[in-house]
Amino acid sequence: MNISFTPDQHALLDAVDRIAQRHEGKATLGASHFEESAALQADLEGAGVFDAAAMEELGPVAAAAMVQRLARLPQCVELIASALLLPLLATALPRPCAVLWDQRDRPARWLPGARAVLCVRGNRVEAAPLTDDDVAPLDSPFGYPVGRLRAPDALAWTPLDIDAQALRRLWQLGVAAELTGCLDAGLQAVVAHVRERRQFGRPLGAFQAIQHRLAQAAVQVEAARWLTLQAAFTGTQADAATALAHAQQCTPTVVYDLHQFMGAMGLTLEHPLHRWTTRAKMLRADLGGAQAQLRALANATWGANEKAGT
Amino acid sequence: MNFNWTEEQAALRSRVRALLARELPPDWEHICRHGPGSPEQTAFSLGFCPKLAAEGLLVPHWPVEHGGRGAPAWEHFIVGEELFAAGEPRGPQYMNVNFIGATLMKYGTPEQQARYLPPMAAGQAVWCQGFSEPSAGSDLAALATRAEARGDAYVINGGKVWTSYAGMAQTCFLLARTGSGKGGIAIFLVPMDTPGITVRAIPSLIGHGDIHEVFFDNVVVPASARLGEEGQAWAIISYALGLERVGLARYAFSRRVLDRMVGELHAQGLFTDDAVRTQAARALAACEAARLLVYRVVDQRARGLPPTAEANLARVAVVAADHAVADFALDHFGDALCGDGWPLVLAHHERAIAAGIASGAAEIQLNLVAHEWLQLPREPRLERA
Repeated sequence: MNISFTPDQHALLDAVDRIAQRHEGKATLGASHFEESAALQADLEGAGVFDAAAMEELGPVAAAAMVQRLARLPQCVELIASALLLPLLATALPRPCAVLWDQRDRPARWLPGARAVLCVRGNRVEAAPLTDDDVAPLDSPFGYPVGRLRAPDALAWTPLDIDAQALRRLWQLGVAAELTGCLDAGLQAVVAHVRERRQFGRPLGAFQAIQHRLAQAAVQVEAARWLTLQAAFTGTQADAATALAHAQQCTPTVVYDLHQFMGAMGLTLEHPLHRWTTRAKMLRADLGGAQAQLRALANATWGANEKAGT
Repeated sequence: MNFNWTEEQAALRSRVRALLARELPPDWEHICRHGPGSPEQTAFSLGFCPKLAAEGLLVPHWPVEHGGRGAPAWEHFIVGEELFAAGEPRGPQYMNVNFIGATLMKYGTPEQQARYLPPMAAGQAVWCQGFSEPSAGSDLAALATRAEARGDAYVINGGKVWTSYAGMAQTCFLLARTGSGKGGIAIFLVPMDTPGITVRAIPSLIGHGDIHEVFFDNVVVPASARLGEEGQAWAIISYALGLERVGLARYAFSRRVLDRMVGELHAQGLFTDDAVRTQAARALAACEAARLLVYRVVDQRARGLPPTAEANLARVAVVAADHAVADFALDHFGDALCGDGWPLVLAHHERAIAAGIASGAAEIQLNLVAHEWLQLPREPRLERA
């Protein structure tokens, strides 16, 4: 048992942190729900950090921690497929890559701009190359570019020899990591706000009613952080389900509290809080949401439900 | 980062499990039904702990000169995790090995160490903590029990309350006031058979014989009973609580009880309802969250790093795990809580009532997370009356 990063993992995370810091101040707020950053994407590609998961000395732990860090940026970048799925399972696919679960014709984040799409239906995994013309962008209340395939069955789908269960585990891990980063960034922004904002003659953050709710949020975020890293290390079904169940489960309360304490400023597009909370609202429903992860956890721990489906 | 146990750690865990299988009697779950402070469990600990000591498993983390092996922090923690999951056969003695011993090693005189450490290392010492008072609970610094210096002795007057283990303790780790304010408190190591001490058990919801009142009526102790200097108590207590906060692997007992309940529901063909299964999984996830946050603290301790507010985060998560499992028991195992067929579940039920209240209110933990982890400003303090 050794719950600290290795020197190699630290070096990668420091490099990622430096890139993130360069972009942190460059967000353009006020105009849109989300902001894709081609420059950030290019910097990450250039530094080769998306290969980390497949490197023995770094591995999924470092990749998950990298996703946690990059999700704290106000700008968004496609992370889960690029940092986890492709390096570990589908090295031939180009980035960015969108992922469709269960149906080819549903809306999905990252379809606009994606160069490839993966679709998982049951145990079958298939992939197709994409151009911008293949995708119809959709308006959405979520902090990602969202679109739908214009003619899903007309694409050149190729079946992939990939274990759908393994892919699902990595997706659970990635969503848990991205949620952790979003909630963490939102929490830090709100903590900074309540330290400064004064009402009734003192900082909001000096009121115990607010302290306790933010402290509870901190407990949830830290638990999400370490559950995710454990899941990255062990690669087990149970740990992946635990990490995502926890993160998805705590999201509604944490997001509500963050907005509550940011007040009206957090309702504007000028403040970055929405960049994290609107992403979190999409991520909390991925793969069926917390209830589905809890079912998966029960199955993985205590055996499948003998009466399932009856 | 590596979440696997080393071969040595895994072997140690197996050794502890084998010892438990060998040493715990068939009626063990009935013995531990009323908690570590009950007369039954305390009496059991006095037979069990010497066996642990003989195996080198009672104080492995202590330095050699005090009867330990200087083993890594993880080793002591793994032993504690297994024992607590089994219902804590060390009874109240977990307290000695988790923090009183280490505190005496750091702050005690050679005489105090020579007197008190060997019985702890041998598994024959029962201590109680004289902290809370009727007017000093979460606000511990408001305590009023006085220790008045008189020549080369102190005369102690006052009263303590909620004192676990006082009924069978040989020694009290006592906080008393020698001056005013936080800086006016000292710690005394007081033999419980000193004239003037009266102990009264308080009937409670949370196990027989667990909580007491302790009265001090002109109790005279020599100055050599003082631990550290007058006024040093707060620093010593902070050190001790840093060790205590994650000393107990409460989530491991919760997990054990959860698995036990699920196993029984399974056997009865009742673990098929989706709502029951997801509630069990939610409780399991809460245990896992608590386990990892506690492991973070142990990891930092094993590296020799100073304690941080991560210990307070962990405590909050541990309380949530206790409650999640206790709620599952009430919702799906309520019939079994009646009668004495499921003593382990009953024991958990009672301990969970005190979770978040005993050994430092959860709200105080949240205050500490807010101030020290999130760096939020403190609430303005009121002047003490």
